[in-house]
Amino acid sequence: MYFWKCWRDTRSFALAFLVIGAAAIPITAAVGVGTSLVQGFGTTVFLPTFIILLFVVALGLGTIGAIQEFTDKTAHFLFTKPRPRAYFVWAGWAVGCIELLTIALVNLLAGWLTLAHYSQSPVRSVLFSSIKKQDIVGILIYTLFIYCLTYSLTAVLRNGLKGLGASMGITIGFQVIAAAIRVRWNIDVPLPPLPIGSLPIMISNVVWILVALLFVLGAQIVVERAEI
Amino acid sequence: MNELAIASTDLTKTYGSIRAVKGIDLSVPRGAIYGFLGRNGAGKTTTIKMLLGLTRPTAGSARVLAMDVVSEHIAILRRTAFVSEKKTLYPSLTPSDLVRFSRGFYPTWSDSAVEKYARLFEIPMKQRFEELSNGNQTKVFLLLALSQGADLLVLDEPTTALDPVSVDQLLHVLAGDALDRGCTIFFSSHQLEEVEQIAEYAGVMDHGKLVMECRLDDIKSEFRLITAAGNSLPVQTSSQVLSVDVEGNFCRYVVTKDADGFAAGLSRNGATVTNIVPLSLREIFLQLARREQSCTSGNAGATPVHLP
Repeated sequence: MYFWKCWRDTRSFALAFLVIGAAAIPITAAVGVGTSLVQGFGTTVFLPTFIILLFVVALGLGTIGAIQEFTDKTAHFLFTKPRPRAYFVWAGWAVGCIELLTIALVNLLAGWLTLAHYSQSPVRSVLFSSIKKQDIVGILIYTLFIYCLTYSLTAVLRNGLKGLGASMGITIGFQVIAAAIRVRWNIDVPLPPLPIGSLPIMISNVVWILVALLFVLGAQIVVERAEI
Repeated sequence: MNELAIASTDLTKTYGSIRAVKGIDLSVPRGAIYGFLGRNGAGKTTTIKMLLGLTRPTAGSARVLAMDVVSEHIAILRRTAFVSEKKTLYPSLTPSDLVRFSRGFYPTWSDSAVEKYARLFEIPMKQRFEELSNGNQTKVFLLLALSQGADLLVLDEPTTALDPVSVDQLLHVLAGDALDRGCTIFFSSHQLEEVEQIAEYAGVMDHGKLVMECRLDDIKSEFRLITAAGNSLPVQTSSQVLSVDVEGNFCRYVVTKDADGFAAGLSRNGATVTNIVPLSLREIFLQLARREQSCTSGNAGATPVHLP
């Protein structure tokens, strides 16, 4: 049904990045063998690759996976199916979310296997000894945040490009504003996925996930109220 | 059990200062074929959208299959098939994909109906939707609607882009298969001949108002065009007089019942009745359209004729 349709819409993009996620780290490692690159591979190569890859995937899936029935003029077809509109909003989101997490997992696995291959012990690879667990969790939360923001803005603005532009604008703009506030008034504005004030890291993570889900909830409300 | 498949009371839709639908009272009997007529922009599609929960009424209420269109619209959609005025579907999907997509939404879905109508309409099931001709795209919409096993078919200009052979096939399917299942068919059209061919009831919308709703048999047996000449002829519409068209000393009345009695009344008041002729749906439609044009320029008001 709708899950299948969402998968069809996004599968080319998701599969392409799945391949990139699986191949990028082993290729880089193979090229870097015999150099000092492998020693600090976790933090100097894997982590930046992980961030950039997931950031691009989050923006892409948020744009092409979002409910775009208004742009495609198929809203009258979809929204006369006997399901609440909320179902379509969350189904589209869930498919993108699963693809995002799969790509992250494959990239992580590829990184771990590659580094295990070049380490003395496969279990204690360079990746695990040089990267903190919170680094990985933080990146995942941040990409989820970007994905939810882009998804909701695309659904609300009824256009992929506008959604992408608005999402990037908000993400970059918020960082700039937060930096300006810090410099001018010495106030730390919370930025995902950094800890919020003195809250424990676990609580901060949960708060950021909830904020991300609020964006999708907002999109749901807009789509539910939309006149077709 | 409610006898009406669709019933609305004072159903109104306003977009800003524009009143698209002005308090209409629709009555569509169950198991009937109902032709919903009107000129472009008359408010037909907006009415259909309200009935299916695609847009919310500004005022008034409506019940479809005895369920409220606002609070129970998901339950309504479970039993209603809809062919939209805009025949747009996912361009990269083939008709087979679209069948696969739609099937899961409806417990009453019939794969044998898919096969039957795909063969009848000669739809290339493996070709992408965007590569199909306009006529075949419309046929895909109809295939999906007809295979749904719905209790109510709502078709918004279903014959758009269809060739005469396909139109004929569709009308046969609607008047045969769908009706045999006890399905109610509510379809909007500009093609008055199509409506006359299969519909039992007709409703005419104009400028957001339902200006007439009647059985087509009543049009044949009761409705008459009376032409009369004389001074001070009555120009008021009523439940008996659907429209009055004044031209110099002549008046043309579309009378919905007891034409002879009305003509006798005119004669008693000194008028000369020159002609009493039966009317076709087309003639009535044109008379109503003319009357509505004069209404909008500030003349006589409209009095809708409704089903008994």
